[in-house]
Amino acid sequence: MLRFILQRALYAVPLIFVIIVVMFSLLYLIPGDPVQALVGDYPVPPAFRAAIEEKYRLNDPFFVQVGNYLASVVQGDFGFSYQHQRPVLDLILERAPRTILLASVGFAVAIPLGMLVGVLGGTTTNPSVDKFWTTTALVAYAVPTFWLGQLLVMFFALRLGWFPTQGIGPLVSRAHGLDWLLERVRYLALPVLAFAIHEGMRFARIMRASVIDTLAQGYIITARAKGLSRGQIIRRHVLRNSSLPLVTIAGYAFGSALSGAVLLETVFTWPGLGLLLVDSIRLRDNLTVIGVVIFSAFAVILMNLVVDILYALLDPRIRTSG
Amino acid sequence: MTELTTPNPAQTTLSRWRTTVGHMMGTRHGAIGTVILLLLAMTAILAPYVAPYTPLQQTTQSLAPPSAAFFFGTDNIGRDLFSLLLYGAQSSLLVGLGAALAALLVGGTIGILAGYFRGRVEVVLMRVIELFQTLPVIMLVLCAVALFGSSFSLLITAVALAIWPMEARLVYGQYIKLREREFIAAARVADLSTWHIIFREILPNAAQPIIVQVALDASIAILIEAGLGFLGLSDPSMVSWGQLLFVAQDYMDSAWWMSVFPGAAICLTVIGLNLFADGLNEIVDPRSSRGMGGLQ
Repeated sequence: MLRFILQRALYAVPLIFVIIVVMFSLLYLIPGDPVQALVGDYPVPPAFRAAIEEKYRLNDPFFVQVGNYLASVVQGDFGFSYQHQRPVLDLILERAPRTILLASVGFAVAIPLGMLVGVLGGTTTNPSVDKFWTTTALVAYAVPTFWLGQLLVMFFALRLGWFPTQGIGPLVSRAHGLDWLLERVRYLALPVLAFAIHEGMRFARIMRASVIDTLAQGYIITARAKGLSRGQIIRRHVLRNSSLPLVTIAGYAFGSALSGAVLLETVFTWPGLGLLLVDSIRLRDNLTVIGVVIFSAFAVILMNLVVDILYALLDPRIRTSG
Repeated sequence: MTELTTPNPAQTTLSRWRTTVGHMMGTRHGAIGTVILLLLAMTAILAPYVAPYTPLQQTTQSLAPPSAAFFFGTDNIGRDLFSLLLYGAQSSLLVGLGAALAALLVGGTIGILAGYFRGRVEVVLMRVIELFQTLPVIMLVLCAVALFGSSFSLLITAVALAIWPMEARLVYGQYIKLREREFIAAARVADLSTWHIIFREILPNAAQPIIVQVALDASIAILIEAGLGFLGLSDPSMVSWGQLLFVAQDYMDSAWWMSVFPGAAICLTVIGLNLFADGLNEIVDPRSSRGMGGLQ
């Protein structure tokens, strides 16, 4: 088991190096003054320029620069954001928990929703019920999350006034205890809803296919022969056995959730990593842009590693075959 | 499809396609999808002739609600939204089609190399595919477009970069399965060239699932393009639906039509492509005829 973990971890390391090198090469390829490319659209004082040239060894050959950048990133130094007047790592560490909050609440709603809809569609004996859910899933999948977000804001926030239109919380909050929690929930509601509808329907499609597969298995017939009721069969046998593919997908969906967060956070002005990335792109704050991407890639690789290890723990077949 | 290799592929391919089109219109999803796609293609081609205004033409009324004069209202600088939507079909369909074909080229080549030649090539290429599948590629795409400015060809390349691994996996799976079949062994015994076996023997038998995947790829490409447009990163010289939604973001409280119609257009296109792929899949693989085929 330890060998398996080490093997997977060793495999993740070169991935991270490749990403850092690719990202730095992108920066290197930008036409024009490299110092300006690093700093963004700001007038650069000569002293600062000299410091940057020194730090990133801009007068040395390319591979020295890459090696140098690699070394500083490994030490957690993503550079300094001239725009925010703060180290890039500080910015990232401040924003990341908010994105993680949104994504985890989103998944917590999307997974049960997907399972419910998938089981409803997969186990029903009425073809029109199945058709209804299949069509709903198809349409929900085709709706871009950011447009869904706009529709939700226009209807529930602007027209009905039930929820705030944007942000993570009020500028000044005097609420305590339960009130404080409710306040947070109101701000979370719409972004989570947009996320959960889109992802949930994706999960529903996978769940439905899996449920149909499971229902064709021999042990379902056995269970029926034993005289179990429909509900018992679904709860005890179908739900459990058909959830496995969903668990796999949900584990790996973390990466796409991070990418999706860019759009979702833009719609709701949710101040997470995605919005930081978009804002930095607009301000040409390239060190921050690259820092966010490297950090996200790192998070995704780490997450996949954890998922792999969890599977190996759950299913002995994986660790012996790998 | 039949596994037989036939002496005259050209003729059978034609008749095979004719039956495919016939079957396609016979499935409900396929028929609806085909009709939607045909209408959209016509919209894109005919936009300059049927649109009441050109994309840059400003009327005196800004933020006018939908009316008989402006079917879908006007935007913040007085452009007719209906005309903009018609023109927007051009860039969406071009990016969708272009990126899907580029992904087919790259993913197909890599899938064939890995699936047919196996061995060390397979190990290395599968790692590359895995790398692209684990990364938040959309973020990389975003960066590339942001750093190098947005041109139409860069947009297509960037979107293709994000979607090719799916195509590669599918082609790989097809080749790995088909290369073990008897008719390929027969072709080898007959001393046909590797090139001939890959393109004339295996490809025709692998083609249909690949085409289904291309349709699905195109729908994902359109969603990504819309997303890039929504972040303000589309080619500024072309109208795109995503970019219209980017502008609409600032007018959500005053002009719902600026958001509702472009978003609906994106939806319709993606639904059309998915239904088309569904219909196609139903013909290829009748077992998956319950309308969920080909979906990932």
